[in-house]
Amino acid sequence: MRDLFRLLYRIRDTLLFLVLMIVAMVLLHGGNAHHRAQAISSSNALVGTIFTWRKGITDYANLKEVNRRLAEENAEWRSRHESAYTPVEDLFVRINDTIHRQQYSYIAAKVVNSTWHKQKNFLTLDKGATSGVQEEMGVIGPNGIVGVVREVSPHFASVSSILSPSMRTSVRIRRTGHIGLLYWDTNDAATASVIDIAKHARILVGDTVETRGGDATFPAGIPVGVVETLSAEPGSNYHEIQIRLTEDMSQSGFVYVVKDLQRAERDTLQQAHSAP
Amino acid sequence: MIGTIIANILRLLVLVLVQALILDHLDVANGYLVPYLYVLFLLMLPFELPAWALLLIGAGTGALMDFFSSTPGMHMSACTLMMFARIRILKLLAPREGYEFGMLPTVPRMGFTWFLTYAGLLILVHHLWLFFVEVYRFDGFFSTFFRAVSSATFTLVLCLLAQFLTARPERGRA
Repeated sequence: MRDLFRLLYRIRDTLLFLVLMIVAMVLLHGGNAHHRAQAISSSNALVGTIFTWRKGITDYANLKEVNRRLAEENAEWRSRHESAYTPVEDLFVRINDTIHRQQYSYIAAKVVNSTWHKQKNFLTLDKGATSGVQEEMGVIGPNGIVGVVREVSPHFASVSSILSPSMRTSVRIRRTGHIGLLYWDTNDAATASVIDIAKHARILVGDTVETRGGDATFPAGIPVGVVETLSAEPGSNYHEIQIRLTEDMSQSGFVYVVKDLQRAERDTLQQAHSAP
Repeated sequence: MIGTIIANILRLLVLVLVQALILDHLDVANGYLVPYLYVLFLLMLPFELPAWALLLIGAGTGALMDFFSSTPGMHMSACTLMMFARIRILKLLAPREGYEFGMLPTVPRMGFTWFLTYAGLLILVHHLWLFFVEVYRFDGFFSTFFRAVSSATFTLVLCLLAQFLTARPERGRA
């Protein structure tokens, strides 16, 4: 027994090393994503606050660009506003449309921290649970999709960027309607791949790729990118498609968190369906 | 003694903030040069610290970085591994008469070649582990490998620069 203790004492540093490594690996694997989120995340209040300070300083550097983008977006919305249309025929009276029902609402948020050049990228937003942001909500920018909310604290949210190899987003080719998955394997912030589109689909370079919708994360038809290169590996049944992302991930300033108003209904239905 | 502790805590805070607020946002060479300068804090810890303290400080520093980059366990494991390697490497690189009390592992104290070997090896260990854990797969092995090696070189250059910029003139024993 004494020898055992002596042995343990002699290798105590190695033991401590192993224990710490095991703790780190457990954290890394995230036994429970929710607990992990509470414990360590950039949506943590202190870290979020520090990043907000930083953003407060760096914001001045790209005010010009942000203004331009906001103005562009304003123009876009203005052109869709009621006042931009003249009535075709005065005989018709506008009535309240009850056939269309609002399905999505958007929460505007500022990106206080973001990475785009690492191998797995995150964004931190300055809106959290108190503003209605919840986990698994989609995040879109003025020009296309940005990511999915991963963790939420009262005033901040941490977003997994589409520039993460673990993200798979359901997309489709706008012209043909073929469905595939967006997958970031290019290690380049401006491009990504679309996989799982069968070879018989006639895709052309220049085709627009948009979100498919239907997964309660992104509405359908949000732009994702434009097909840049198209190749076919011999023996494979699928296209190898590389797209240029429409949203400049290194420029994200203001984004919108997508809230699906029918999400709860959908989730309950799916749970009822999958329950034994 | 108290002075050393305060100096080290200040160094930790400054380096972690520089890392999280500036260096993490650098976009040089499309992800092939991602510096992790905060390891300089771990490199510059005094020789006298016992192994258990080194390991705990390493794990703590890594966990702090993880807070900033929402990567639970990633920096923590890399730093713990690096501190474990530091214990071994310091033994290998020890001068014949051993380390004197109060010596610091810095360029002015130990010489350029010594520091280059010491810091180079440890940064390489840290970065290789970190970059492979970050992608968590082995396909694209060489891409990740080159990223790690080129970033390690960048970090090493920054560490040397930081040492030259902050080095005080040699004045007896601290």
